[in-house]
Amino acid sequence: MTTVYSSKFYTFYQSDADRCYFIDFGQKLVKLSFCQLLALRQRIQTISIEDHFDSDLNKHGFEILMLCNKEHLFLLNTFEILDLMELLGNALGVLGIANQIGLTSS
Amino acid sequence: MKDIARQRMSIKISTMDLLNNQIKMEAHASASYLAMASWCEQNAFPSSADFFYHQASEEREHMMKIFKFVADCGGNPISPSVENLNHDFSTLEEVFETALDQEITVTKSIYNIQSAARKEQDFLVENFLQWFITEQLEEEKTFRDILDLFEVMGREGIALKFIDERIKPE
Repeated sequence: MTTVYSSKFYTFYQSDADRCYFIDFGQKLVKLSFCQLLALRQRIQTISIEDHFDSDLNKHGFEILMLCNKEHLFLLNTFEILDLMELLGNALGVLGIANQIGLTSS
Repeated sequence: MKDIARQRMSIKISTMDLLNNQIKMEAHASASYLAMASWCEQNAFPSSADFFYHQASEEREHMMKIFKFVADCGGNPISPSVENLNHDFSTLEEVFETALDQEITVTKSIYNIQSAARKEQDFLVENFLQWFITEQLEEEKTFRDILDLFEVMGREGIALKFIDERIKPE
């Protein structure tokens, strides 16, 4: 596996042998196909970070992320979400398949 | 490192994002035409209502065409949500003028994707969009021709009834 990008909390790998990607979430290594990576990118893009700073819209400042056809479930706080956004944006940038994703919802 | 993304998907992610925006725009156009059909039904313009029902289904076909294309390319097509629909119009002419403006917005958006695809050398997308460019010309012409009827026949009374009778689904 080749390390593509590491953020504060997470690391993004590519496996040429398996033709897939891995994200090390610390307590868990998640294998993602390209389609699952696109789905995660889409999910991250729909998160409104502004809502985390409004107690009416996101009372506890958490996001529930379900990955890989609901195989994995993560509960991430604001810092972890921001870090995951950075990880994905930079990893996809390094791979040359997309520009950095914005930190706010599109 | 292998280019896994290219092995899995035939178009660029940036172009896929633009196509997903276009899917949303076509869905909005379809729903918007339904709102116009509703107004026409309520104001006794049955031919115009039929015309807009037909337009609504045509826009949905456009949406599906793009949706299928993104899927066929190995991308991630997003089923769109439709918000902020206008159901309020003052006159039949305003309905058609709004429809023309909507088509112009769609045309501009397609030109924008075409331009981005050309810049990214995404020739597959460029080729795919050619059909939409021709289609948009026809759509705009249809609405321009209808708006010309108001200039020729008038905007009040029986003229509106005659205009309505002349409007037929394409």
